[in-house]
Amino acid sequence: MKIVVTVKVVPDLNAPKSIDPATKRLVRTGIESQLNPYDEYALEAALQLKERLGGDTTVTLLSMIPESSKETLRKALAMGADDATVLSDGALAGADVAVTARALAAALKKIGFDLVICGGLSDDGSTGGVPGALAEHLGVPGLTNARHIEIESTGLKAQRETDTGYQVVTCPLPALVSVTMAVGEPRYASLKGIMGAKRKSVSTLSAADVGVDAKPKTELLRFAPPPVRVKARIVEAADGPSGAQAIFDFLRERKLV
Amino acid sequence: MQHVIEVVEHRGGQTRKVTFELATQARELAEKLGGTAHAVVLGNGAAQLAESLKTYPLDVVHVSEDPDVDRFLIDPTIDYVESIARATGPSVILLPNTMYGRDVASRLVARLDAGMAADVTGFEIEGGRVACIAPKLGGATITTCAFVDTDYGVVTARPNAFAAQSGGNGARVEQAAKPQSKQYVMHVESEVEEASGELGLEEAPVVVSGGRGLGGPQPFTTLLKPLADALGGAVGASRAAADAGWVPYSLQIGQTGKTVSPNLYIAVGISGAIQHKVGMRSAGTIVAVNKDASAPIAEFSDLVVVGDAFSIIPELTKLIEAAKGYIK
Repeated sequence: MKIVVTVKVVPDLNAPKSIDPATKRLVRTGIESQLNPYDEYALEAALQLKERLGGDTTVTLLSMIPESSKETLRKALAMGADDATVLSDGALAGADVAVTARALAAALKKIGFDLVICGGLSDDGSTGGVPGALAEHLGVPGLTNARHIEIESTGLKAQRETDTGYQVVTCPLPALVSVTMAVGEPRYASLKGIMGAKRKSVSTLSAADVGVDAKPKTELLRFAPPPVRVKARIVEAADGPSGAQAIFDFLRERKLV
Repeated sequence: MQHVIEVVEHRGGQTRKVTFELATQARELAEKLGGTAHAVVLGNGAAQLAESLKTYPLDVVHVSEDPDVDRFLIDPTIDYVESIARATGPSVILLPNTMYGRDVASRLVARLDAGMAADVTGFEIEGGRVACIAPKLGGATITTCAFVDTDYGVVTARPNAFAAQSGGNGARVEQAAKPQSKQYVMHVESEVEEASGELGLEEAPVVVSGGRGLGGPQPFTTLLKPLADALGGAVGASRAAADAGWVPYSLQIGQTGKTVSPNLYIAVGISGAIQHKVGMRSAGTIVAVNKDASAPIAEFSDLVVVGDAFSIIPELTKLIEAAKGYIK
């Protein structure tokens, strides 16, 4: 079985971020890039399946990133992915949800898959729009927010997280699944994995290779810093009723109770 | 884009405040665009919920209790919404920014060749185009994005960001026609209730959240839950608490977990690492209860009470319960 995990490269959460007023894109120079943390869970789910299924199951990474970010994928290869395909094209810079989903779908059709596993959200855009749109473009079942995945003779069975518990959902393969962090903590790369990752194949496709020519459906007009919160009022050494009263008075003052 | 279509999230006809916030916003936006305001309510309990939506300023409420909607995952819902959107014409489609809302929105992006804006807190109309205001990069920047080259804009709106105001002349309730029959393949085999979460964390107007400082699972039910109940809110947690197995991951707020924007956020025994901050920094009012006055959370709170949560929280719960008793 061929499992493909979609991976985004995002700026480090701790890094100070700015948007270039001219291009209206994130300034990436001097900012540490990392794997989108949500996608590490997707990879973990894929590697668990590979271990359980054994045989000829493979895990391929698919990432839409500039050539210069390719090295960031080494970590995912070191964790245990078998190989990676990078969709890299200047024409895709500044892609929104609509373009990203079309481009990834085109690449997936090109490289083939039995199961696509996605993270639920990206750390920077936080739209959560790609997995569902991708499933639509691929014309396969799109099962979101899975916390446990099993492969059965008839297809796929998953526990899907809801606000109050979970649903058991089944569907045939090929399919697309997005996961939550309840699939399990992403593993650390072993030393052997890190050494081996250097020899794993990372191939590159261009927009023309996969035949995608999509235009964004959104345009960034402006951006501004978030409103500044006034410095906190601090109430020291306030155990028991005095602390409770301090909070209560504050909530009253703000008409929250 | 001229019309506005709200897709309602509910369970068996039970819904949350955000539904009425979006119904109100649908009208406001439709007025500005010179179009009509619609709601779509699907599945078990839809008819009853449609009745309660009639008191909001909508033109049409499209309703169907087709059992396929609950029997199969998402696909029937998307078919209904797509067909209503096409029949209505170019429109903004409004959903709550929740797991459900993101799911539906994401499918519609492909079906309608639409643009998508997530976690939206406001709208502007510029040169006839609809622009959405939304925080990005973990709240580090507030963006304004316009829909371009498309007839449809799909929006997941932040709960608690818009006012809910009933009124209007009473919406017309219309039976939605079943889209041409398809073979649905994602079967919902069973539903398992686990958590006490009557209220979705992402939509709760108040969140009482606990972290490492609580020391174990029990205080989440004995200390935080009663306070959340008294305030009409939900219980959340930091990553440390979820990693320790004290609460399910579905309660985790912050990076890799949920983003919340309640009117009031009470952080109990949470130090406030950046991973937590990005999930709650835009809450209206933030109160921290912490033993350590120098914890990072103090830097983005409105009130910090330095003290022992185990002695403070029960007293606070009592005060709030008592106040509610007197006011009502």
